[in-house]
Amino acid sequence: MPRAAGGIEIEGTVVECLRNATFRVELSNGHKVLAHISGKIRKNYIKILPEDRVLVELSPYDLNRGRIIFRYRT
Amino acid sequence: MNSLPFSPGVGAVTISRVADNQWHAIENDLVVGRGHASRRLDGRTFLSIDTWRDAVFDRLAAAMLADLTGPLHTVVDETDRDLTANWERAGLTIWRRESEYVVPTRPIAPPAPSGVHIVTDVAEPPLRELDQAIRDEVGSTVGWHTMPAEVLPWQGGTRPIDPSKYTVAVRDGRYVGFVRVATRTRRPRIGLVAVLAAEQRRGIGRALLGHVLDGLHRAGVEAATAEVDETNTVATALFEGIGAERTGRTLELITGKA
Repeated sequence: MPRAAGGIEIEGTVVECLRNATFRVELSNGHKVLAHISGKIRKNYIKILPEDRVLVELSPYDLNRGRIIFRYRT
Repeated sequence: MNSLPFSPGVGAVTISRVADNQWHAIENDLVVGRGHASRRLDGRTFLSIDTWRDAVFDRLAAAMLADLTGPLHTVVDETDRDLTANWERAGLTIWRRESEYVVPTRPIAPPAPSGVHIVTDVAEPPLRELDQAIRDEVGSTVGWHTMPAEVLPWQGGTRPIDPSKYTVAVRDGRYVGFVRVATRTRRPRIGLVAVLAAEQRRGIGRALLGHVLDGLHRAGVEAATAEVDETNTVATALFEGIGAERTGRTLELITGKA
């Protein structure tokens, strides 16, 4: 069974919604990344707002960038 | 932290349909991209692809489009030019644009037009009757393609209606318009504003919205959200007239004929 590339998924908190469809997310380890939302989240019209707790998949090519793949219920 | 070296090519990538609605792009035993298709209750199929590489996106899109039939949809934030370009490269074209608004609540509701009163204690049978009448009007006039997904007709079964989400305008005992608001979300969402064609241009929609926004303000809510199709000039004027601020826009792209 193939595994996910990169495979780094980490929880974080949205600290800022930026204009270009990206979000600044502070990860649980204190690192801040720029993240966009995954296609599945976008397709389901799930809104991401500041202070939301989210799960971010980091890019294997640039660990300062990521993709929000899940929003936790508050 | 370490990261993988960037390789823009897709030399050894293979695409596998791993489920009826899921595709994986695999390279060196790693999943380097995922595609997903979901069929909505209105019967339309929406696609999504998540990968860090455009070339992998192209391979996944080609495989998904080859496997699926009928018009296929996707949604993209208007400012996400890269993703839009990816889908256009795959053959999809922009079908409609939907503006997202933040609607400030306000303490004073505008008066309802003469002979009309606004009620929140809503009975289901006349509400369902009004809902059907408005759906029939939409179907025979502007059509459904300009409507947000949630108001499209369902394929099979009866759409459930929760009267507690509705505020209704009543004239002579007859329901003539309504607003539906979802308040369980973190920021209330105005899902639908509709008035019978014969009752439009009389301020009923504005009175309904004002009543709802007044109620939200009293409940301590500062703002609600709404989405409006950009071709719907009446709704755009209604929301912007009450101080709504456009915060973004979503593009819906489609392949094939709708």
